[in-house]
Amino acid sequence: MIDWLAFLAVAVATLVGAVVVVGLYSLGVRLYAVSIDGNVPATRAAKFSAYACFAACALTVLYGIYLIIPAFHH
Amino acid sequence: MDFTFMVVLVIALALFFDFTNGFHDTANAMATPIATGAIKPKTAVGIAAVLNLVGAFLSTEVAKTISGGIIKEGHGGISITPELIFAGLLGAVLWNLITWLRGLPSSSSHALFGGLIGAVIVGTWGFSAVNFSVVLSKVILPAILAPAIAGGVAYLCTRLAYAMTRRTHPDSGDKLVQKRGGFRYGQVFSSSLVALAHGTNDAQKTMGVITLVLISAGAQHAGTGPQLWVIGACALAIAGGTYAGGWRIIRTLGSGLTDVKPAQGFAAETSTAAAILASSHLGFALSTTHVASGSVVGSGLGRTGSTVRWGAIGKISLGWLFTLPASAVVGGLAALLSSKEHGLGTVGLIIGAVLGLAAIIFIFVVSQRDVVDHSNAISEVDIVGGAVRIPSRKERERLAAKARAMEKAATKAAAKEGQR
Repeated sequence: MIDWLAFLAVAVATLVGAVVVVGLYSLGVRLYAVSIDGNVPATRAAKFSAYACFAACALTVLYGIYLIIPAFHH
Repeated sequence: MDFTFMVVLVIALALFFDFTNGFHDTANAMATPIATGAIKPKTAVGIAAVLNLVGAFLSTEVAKTISGGIIKEGHGGISITPELIFAGLLGAVLWNLITWLRGLPSSSSHALFGGLIGAVIVGTWGFSAVNFSVVLSKVILPAILAPAIAGGVAYLCTRLAYAMTRRTHPDSGDKLVQKRGGFRYGQVFSSSLVALAHGTNDAQKTMGVITLVLISAGAQHAGTGPQLWVIGACALAIAGGTYAGGWRIIRTLGSGLTDVKPAQGFAAETSTAAAILASSHLGFALSTTHVASGSVVGSGLGRTGSTVRWGAIGKISLGWLFTLPASAVVGGLAALLSSKEHGLGTVGLIIGAVLGLAAIIFIFVVSQRDVVDHSNAISEVDIVGGAVRIPSRKERERLAAKARAMEKAATKAAAKEGQR
């Protein structure tokens, strides 16, 4: 009667989704902070990685939205 | 003629409910980025309105939960009439407006379910028309579990965000400049995501009700989803409410926000959005207010040195518990008045409608006359934020110094003990 599996699915989806998005964004913020320290030779690499993290974060969100739109899964 | 007029009346009331839902909830999504100055208020409200509109079109799973399951509709089941749905909606709208006026935390969704259930129980004179197992599994349990899930995830995410961006000097271990400014911009996106999620869940509830009316009036087959014009109308109503109400609330909001830091807010909003989107996909009609509140509490706990004010949480939970039965009583009374067997029939319906309209106008007038201060303008989620006490840096330092002193005294005492 009560679909406990569905609740578990919501919990897991929430956990995975939020942790991935927050994790990627935090990594981006960290790398960006490193990139504007200035005196480190790895500045450019850090900046590039930071932007890559932000992009990956955005893609994760878009993929998540894509998953829940029924129109795409007929 | 009379019949179609009834259907139009119910649809109008349903769309009005959608509108109140929109202005009740704008601040939940957009209050934080406005407070941190990441977006201008007018832009924020506009973005929230547009995303609510888009979200309403994305998924209609929640609408199907309401139109086909909670109340046994159509052939074979007990047929419910547009009059009953009208009574239920009246209960929901009134409860929604009263709580908004008094600044009480409440959920538009629970008001809607309460009103409908109350009306159907009274109108059909029995409990058999309500599918209580569906109510339990798709309304009551999600209402308890979703905020808990969102809160737990928000706690973990806040911990994660702070841990990943904590910068200390590799040799001395001193704190470096943290440079967490990026989260302020991140909040623009996480808040937008909450607004979108709001559209996928809250706009659906009205769609479900209108579809239920159309089914009960015989204009649509039982078991089918909402029609396109219904989706469009509901999306526009909730977007309009978001824009109108948001503007009004935010104009008076000022600096009354609780102390939510960008990194914390980002974690909380991402968790809220993820929980609502996942639930919407499975057709759980949950309260976005409750989920957002759960996340704010969770993320507050994730910050260093915070304590929970359980008393405040208890008070808020009590308000949550009241919503469903209270609107059920109002919906039931309206249904009793318009019932053909036990009440006054059509005359009762008209009396109910006039009384309801008078109450709505009265509430509107009072809200205009009242000075709109933080008690009714501030978002419910921000009130919940007050339930977690986060000491300021000075307080934390004082606490740490106190702990050190206590430790010193303890070692001294131990040493003395050893000497003896």
